[in-house]
Amino acid sequence: MNLIGKLLRSHLSIAQLTGFFIANLTGMVIVLLCIQVYADLRPLFGDNDGLMRNNYLIVTKKIGTLGMLTGRNSSFSPEELEEIRRQPFIKKAGIFDASRFKVTAGIVFQHIGFSTEMFFEAVPDEYLDIQSPEWHFTPGGRTIPIILPRNYLDLYNFGFAQSRNLPKMSEGVIGLMRLDIRLSGEGRQGEFTGKIVGFSNRLNTILVPADFMRWANQTYASHAQPAPSRIILETNLSGDAEAERFLKANGYETDQEKLEAGKAVGMLNRITFVTGAVGMVICILSVYILMLSIYLLLQKNSTKLENLLLIGYSVSQVASPYRRLTWALNTAVLLLAVAAVLWIRSLYIPWLTESWSDFKPASLSGMLTASAGLCLTVSILNGFAISRKIRKLS
Amino acid sequence: MEAIELLQVIPDAFGGRELSGSEVWQAKQTFRRGELCLIEAVSGAGKSSLCGYLYGYRKDYRGTISFDGQAIRQWGRAEWRECRNNHLSILFQDLRLFPELTASENVRLKNRLTRYKSEEWIRAAFERVGIADKWEAPVGKLSFGQQQRVALIRALCQPFDFMLLDEPVSHLDAANSRIAGELLSEEVGQREAGLILTSIGLHPEMKYSKILRL
Repeated sequence: MNLIGKLLRSHLSIAQLTGFFIANLTGMVIVLLCIQVYADLRPLFGDNDGLMRNNYLIVTKKIGTLGMLTGRNSSFSPEELEEIRRQPFIKKAGIFDASRFKVTAGIVFQHIGFSTEMFFEAVPDEYLDIQSPEWHFTPGGRTIPIILPRNYLDLYNFGFAQSRNLPKMSEGVIGLMRLDIRLSGEGRQGEFTGKIVGFSNRLNTILVPADFMRWANQTYASHAQPAPSRIILETNLSGDAEAERFLKANGYETDQEKLEAGKAVGMLNRITFVTGAVGMVICILSVYILMLSIYLLLQKNSTKLENLLLIGYSVSQVASPYRRLTWALNTAVLLLAVAAVLWIRSLYIPWLTESWSDFKPASLSGMLTASAGLCLTVSILNGFAISRKIRKLS
Repeated sequence: MEAIELLQVIPDAFGGRELSGSEVWQAKQTFRRGELCLIEAVSGAGKSSLCGYLYGYRKDYRGTISFDGQAIRQWGRAEWRECRNNHLSILFQDLRLFPELTASENVRLKNRLTRYKSEEWIRAAFERVGIADKWEAPVGKLSFGQQQRVALIRALCQPFDFMLLDEPVSHLDAANSRIAGELLSEEVGQREAGLILTSIGLHPEMKYSKILRL
């Protein structure tokens, strides 16, 4: 029989502990639900670029009638680039390197030959949303990896193919096709094989590796690299509004829809943050209730505690029943809160799956880690507070 | 621990009061291990203060108290805990038992910490001092004299070099006082410990090596 436990249990207020339990459970459920809903919803707002998506903006200068007539430059000068890079909401800025030679691409598909003039662009690899082992080029190689905008595939599948009774094509099939590519310029010519290695949601252009572009421009183009007319920016998630103001003020144009998506993400962020904060406040208040309740208990038992210390018990021995009590309560709250969140989640997941066909439930790890972290932190802090109070009493 | 020394010790509460004839306050006094010392006093002479100073839960005094030459005023929690568990035992005047626990639980609470006495010894001690029938009774329901005996048994459930007793038999009749004195003499003798016992009149008959006036 635990005599210390028996001794110190008197004066325990069930009502206070119940109050703490309910309050802490409420706060904990709100916080954890916020984290889980955020994790589940976030990908829906983010171009499928994943949870930790950064915001990418592709920026051009406005081409106005007046500008056309006056020949106003539509490319970015080094000073302008420098100014953009200096903005606090810009993480980094990259430029589009365009091909300065002639490109002809041909394809033969189901006996329909097809050939067109086209162009290539390249951006630094860190801005790509596609990872492919084939995405590299060594001078002298004959194969050019290419990334196309996903729009092109959709345009073909849902526009062209449908109206002509042609088969729809998956990414896999397209990856098997080879393009005949002819580069020419500076009196030189080269035959290459193009291989489509992916489709980008982010970059609305025909992309080749930056290494290839550098090499090809040196080989097939004479004039120096002109100033870039398109740039890609990576912004902080929270910086969307600022970015929009800055771009507008300088007469730059961007993909509006992305900014809209950015705003929706901003909204989601803010709602989650506010709700989470409310949950946190409730949690903190409930822990406060628990501490007050335990302090009161310690105060009521102060003579007993003092006597226990006087007959040779240590502070930690005397504190242990109270510590055990807080651990038990906090663990019970943790388990119940996680159970509640899982239950609520089982209600909204089917609805999300119905509404968004490509919805994939996020993992539970963030929520579980947070819950364990919260429970641990609170219990350890409680433990410290209890020991401190007992030391003060004696 | 071999010796407890008091050097010019005086309770703060005495202020500048002239003390006449005290052999403890404002004097040099040494208690040695193995000595049984009786301190006789009238009410208000500072008996309980002395016990509080020696047991380390009161520090409202001037002068120096040292254990084996070490001043105890600066001792921290850990030193006191070690000392109280192994070298110094006390029977408080107000006993400091836990009224909601039974008599036996009160003793066990201490013995669990030190594991110094066996369950059989405790039962035999209850028997000997005449409270065997109170084994399962809540201490709050016992008379003060009975509680004094429970507290005495509790105080014996640990090793010690010195034992402080603050009016241990104030509520016992002569027969019970004699039994308590015998038990005390045996236990103190076994440990070759020193004993400091205060009294305002009633005290167990023992072979005191010195009797001091407070």
